[in-house]
Amino acid sequence: MKRFFLSLSFFLSIFMLSGCWDRVEVNDIAIITATAIDLTEDNQIKVTAQVFIPRALSGGGGLGTGGGDLTLIRTGIGSNLADAVSKLQMVLPRTIFWGQCKVFIFGMGLAENGIREQFDFLVRHPEPRGRAFMFVSKADTEKVLQLLPPLERYSGEVLKELLDFKIGLPVTMKDLDLMLTSDAQNAVLPLIKVYPPNKGKTENESIPYISGSAIFSKDKMIGTIGEYETRGIMWIKNMLKYSTISFKAGNEEEEISVSPVQSDVKLKPRISKDKWKMTIKVQAEGDVVQNETKLNLMDPETIKRLEIDFGKNIKHRIEAAIDPLQKEFNIDIIDFATEFHHHYPKEWKKVKNRWNEIFPQIEVSVDVNANIRRPGYTSTPSGLPKDEVKK
Amino acid sequence: MDKGRISSIQMGMMMYLTILATAILTVPSITAKYAKKDLWLSPIWASIIGFFTVIIVIQLSKRFPRQSFFQICEHTIGTLATKLLGFLYFTFFLIASGQITRTYAEFIKVFFIKTPVSVIMITMLLLSAFTVIAGIEVIGRVAQLFFPIFVFSVFIIIFLLLPQLEPSNIFPILENGLLPSLKGAIIPQIWFGELFLIVFLLPSLSDSKGMKWGILTVLLILVTFIITNITVLFILNQNTEFYIYPFLSATQLVNLGDFIESIEPIIIAIWILGTFIKITVFYYVTILTTAQWLKLSDYKPIVWPIGILIVEVSFWAVPNLMVNNHIDITVFPFLFPIMQTFIPLFILGMAVIRKKSKSLEI
Repeated sequence: MKRFFLSLSFFLSIFMLSGCWDRVEVNDIAIITATAIDLTEDNQIKVTAQVFIPRALSGGGGLGTGGGDLTLIRTGIGSNLADAVSKLQMVLPRTIFWGQCKVFIFGMGLAENGIREQFDFLVRHPEPRGRAFMFVSKADTEKVLQLLPPLERYSGEVLKELLDFKIGLPVTMKDLDLMLTSDAQNAVLPLIKVYPPNKGKTENESIPYISGSAIFSKDKMIGTIGEYETRGIMWIKNMLKYSTISFKAGNEEEEISVSPVQSDVKLKPRISKDKWKMTIKVQAEGDVVQNETKLNLMDPETIKRLEIDFGKNIKHRIEAAIDPLQKEFNIDIIDFATEFHHHYPKEWKKVKNRWNEIFPQIEVSVDVNANIRRPGYTSTPSGLPKDEVKK
Repeated sequence: MDKGRISSIQMGMMMYLTILATAILTVPSITAKYAKKDLWLSPIWASIIGFFTVIIVIQLSKRFPRQSFFQICEHTIGTLATKLLGFLYFTFFLIASGQITRTYAEFIKVFFIKTPVSVIMITMLLLSAFTVIAGIEVIGRVAQLFFPIFVFSVFIIIFLLLPQLEPSNIFPILENGLLPSLKGAIIPQIWFGELFLIVFLLPSLSDSKGMKWGILTVLLILVTFIITNITVLFILNQNTEFYIYPFLSATQLVNLGDFIESIEPIIIAIWILGTFIKITVFYYVTILTTAQWLKLSDYKPIVWPIGILIVEVSFWAVPNLMVNNHIDITVFPFLFPIMQTFIPLFILGMAVIRKKSKSLEI
């Protein structure tokens, strides 16, 4: 009897162990590759999803370029993001799957109105990844997702790849969450524009690209800064590990370019006699890649002079980034609050609630130690007769 | 009652898994609510309860070798009081087991959205019941089997997270003095107090190194606790307290060269291994308590009824996750130390005052 029940339970468990009763196969899910969230004119939330079409990849015979699109675009409109997503599901025959969505784009309208309410859905829902990148789009969000990039497979991929080599500020969902609750409570997100299509191509055959950043006070967007300032901010945040810098050497008309510039930036806060000061210490070094001038780069004296100009250029870049923040926007997106909090917890507590008033008054000094290590493959300017080379 | 024997190392592994399986996931968040950035200091204060409990329990078992907890009570405070105490411990372990089972189910439910909670709990308790019937020796061996997997997985995850760590998040240390980190210690001390359970395991030890491994277990738990708390702090910074399962949220961020990512299934798997040991140990102790309290000759007949009761309690006591965490914060910080540390301390005190001890004469 015991043996009978034992063997029975063994047989019965075969049916249980397969574990397939609520399986989700790839052909049951709609893999979202990029999502755009925007506000409609009557204050509804519009969500636009770029859905990957697996069939387009597998069928069609390999590298044939004429095949159908790899993605399709669907939109849903609702009173909030969750509602809009459920409306989106109504026009998708497969279950929405967020796990592969690496790009989330906020439209300008929503960004100016405040993103917190909709951002909550992304953080709370178990599927969207904390590592997904966040953007703000100047162009119409639906259009950005509709673009058919010539090189990459879909526009979401383009944005992700661009960020991978640090063209703009890489801000993930987790970073944005941390920024909004940080000591300064402000955020900055990369800004997207649409690259004008090449001649003879249709309007859609282009890519979105990153141009500058959107500045957020709390969760509301209050303005934008350009590419030059954005790179300055990336210097301060120590995100720029490799870059190319061109600078005018002394009194020369022409420029010298150094690349790749490897840098390390440290923020050193100080409070003395009620004066809040921040020293930005920059350590940078690089190799010369282009020499427009007639200077001989093998001369140690010349290099010493060049290093000073090199440093001045970096200093200017950083100051140009801080200037609009302190004078125009009055908000801190460069972690000064965190630095002061770490080093001066007591003083910080007093000014915590009026940080936006203190921040513009901080005296910022930039201290650059720039080095040029190697001249590249040639010493004297190429294509220049020896007697024209300057000292 | 249970003739099985385990080594003291197995006992240590059992306790390590019992305590850390649930502690790694939910405790950093609750600790951060009070300790903020000092959450990595809190386990240090909390571990004092752990050391204290181990020493009390070991002293008790030295005075009364190979005696069960309720036999010890009878020797020191009399039969009537022991019966009352037995009832208290019976309900206490029943509620604790129920709540642990529910915590487990709530966590799994996040991923198994369509599976009913009751199915998750019953399948787990079914497995635990078989293990409990098999006895302490099997539990010990299973723990020994799972321990390396658990420890290895936790540390491999922390290793993979290394590039994302932001060590400056630790500052400012002790911004508001010691008080926040002490407050934060109130929750983790519940987990350290669970070392009291070894009072039920000590009579089954095959060697006499219970003291050494008990203390070593507390130390190991403390180290793991600090490391996981620091990892979570270095990644989620001030947001640690807002995540229900911070370590899981941190694991989701693992990305090594766009190749190794989305490894959170590992953490779910180790959580299941660990909680299986935890539920089994609590289940076993509940059964043992009941059997010893009612002076049954065998504990096996009550395994199934008590199992059903645990499932029921987990529904009665906890309507939703919010209440579950609320109980963790409001009720358990008082209930657990009283049951796990202060009552044993009182019994040890009585034994010392009345100069009672019982040498080997069973």
